[in-house]
Amino acid sequence: MDHSPKNYMNPYFAGFLLGLVLLSAFLITGRGLGASGAVKNVVVTAVASAAPEYAENSTFYADFFAGNNLMMSWLVFLVMGVIIGAFFSGAMANRLGFKIERGPNISARTRLLFALSGGLLFGLGAQFGRGCTSGAALSGMAVMSTGGILTMMAIFGTGYLIAYFFRRLWV
Amino acid sequence: MAPFIPQGLINPELTLFFALILGIGFGYILEQAGFSSARKLAGVFYGYDFVVLRVFFTAGITAMTGLMFLGYLGWVDLSLLYVNPTYLYSAIVGGVIMGFGFILGGYCPGTSFVGAVIGKVDAMVFIVGSLIGIFIFGHFYSTFEPVYTGNFLGHIHIYDSLGISKSWFAFMLVVVALIAFMLTQMIEDRVNNISTEAIATRPSYRLPTLLLIAAVFIFLFLPDERKSRMSEVSAEVLMEEVFGDAAYVSTQRVIHQIKNQHNNLILIDARSREEHEYFSLPGAVHVTADDVLNRGWRNLFRKDHRMKVFFSNGSSEATKAFMTARRAGYDNIFIMDGGLNKMFYELFVDIQDDKITSTNLQERSTARFLRDARIFFLEGGIAPRDLEERKVIQAPEQSEIIPVIGGC
Repeated sequence: MDHSPKNYMNPYFAGFLLGLVLLSAFLITGRGLGASGAVKNVVVTAVASAAPEYAENSTFYADFFAGNNLMMSWLVFLVMGVIIGAFFSGAMANRLGFKIERGPNISARTRLLFALSGGLLFGLGAQFGRGCTSGAALSGMAVMSTGGILTMMAIFGTGYLIAYFFRRLWV
Repeated sequence: MAPFIPQGLINPELTLFFALILGIGFGYILEQAGFSSARKLAGVFYGYDFVVLRVFFTAGITAMTGLMFLGYLGWVDLSLLYVNPTYLYSAIVGGVIMGFGFILGGYCPGTSFVGAVIGKVDAMVFIVGSLIGIFIFGHFYSTFEPVYTGNFLGHIHIYDSLGISKSWFAFMLVVVALIAFMLTQMIEDRVNNISTEAIATRPSYRLPTLLLIAAVFIFLFLPDERKSRMSEVSAEVLMEEVFGDAAYVSTQRVIHQIKNQHNNLILIDARSREEHEYFSLPGAVHVTADDVLNRGWRNLFRKDHRMKVFFSNGSSEATKAFMTARRAGYDNIFIMDGGLNKMFYELFVDIQDDKITSTNLQERSTARFLRDARIFFLEGGIAPRDLEERKVIQAPEQSEIIPVIGGC
């Protein structure tokens, strides 16, 4: 039995299917897809539960204290589905396995350090941008929102401008 | 009509269930496309793998054109969809920071989950980083707040900001996407040194590209607004109605309804909220010209078959509301001729009780009617024979629209 990883799906076909999923989201609920909001809800719930005196003083955590259950939300359930779906796909394509993916010219430790800082920056930036590539860029494009498209251009524009300086990480 | 949950066609309790299902599809497709690999994702910036651009752009234009066509057919109410709000500087600052995050980390929040769940340790670390980043934002929130909440331009659309029509923007976006697909393919082949023989054995995308261009060419001929409903009234007909007689209901008719506690007319107060709350006719609902197009009143104008009579102090506000309602295609709409001013004048000012003894039958009955009405209004006078006979004039209710709470 062949256990080597299967090929990836044709990207245009994958994009088309993803577009249909996005379209369905809008048709059923009126809103699009997203991911960063779910992570924010996790942070807010965790911090406010563990350190209520700290959180009470901050407007950032106000939602939690207003009595809203942030974990029973559209975005959190969406991300739970993403985890399930992605696992399924990885399992069926023989792509499961622990790995530290990195460019050929850096060490695993360097890669993990940059993954941490990259994540930190993305988490921070997604707050300002009110969404990440899925929420602001993808869903924003579908409804042609100015804010979403601006954020999308800023993400990719910045990426292209600075890519050269960080090429050691990837090539 | 879509969106189904906000329109009450699907139980809102099922929202989380749909979130899960859609998420499963989302995650499955992302992983199948290779978004679980940071190297593939970063490839878009270095030219060796443009999978991000291909998947993203295709998904975006698929959903966009899908919504446009369905909106044109009237199968989805586009105004109920959540449009990301534009906070000008926050949007750009966020994007720039995320750009750094992408290059350094190689993931974005969604894909980090896709990578982590199949075992990518760097993705797991990325997720930990994002938790910290969000915490930092929360910690310094008061410092960030001015930028975060400043320059709110509304939930605006890009085609409005650019000053072009929706159809043109959609058409241009698809053309740009197709060009980008071609260019990036050439760049990728060059960067990866793909031989010309290998390129030649690939399936040709020429046919689907041409078909797609032909299909979106139709965009240019789509009207920006949905085709008018069959009953939408033209400006000329509207003017005829307003300047003629047909659109008017007399004050006496309205007085008659109130005095006898009938329910045949729906009285609609088109004045300001303060005026309506200070005094209004019994059983009147408050719908101004601006409110007429509100979704909540749709059932009133569409399903309720009674005559809808707008009134105001004179007739200008009632006429405005009348015109808006007629332009929206609603039928059975009227204006109370002369408004409250005329009604009060007839009842309380221009007292012609002497006509009760007139030889003219018409004059006699009108005068008597007005006198009785005046007594009724002033003293709550002529009560119905039996208290049980008193019918309460019900103000029609505004139907509920479940609002879409958006956000990422």
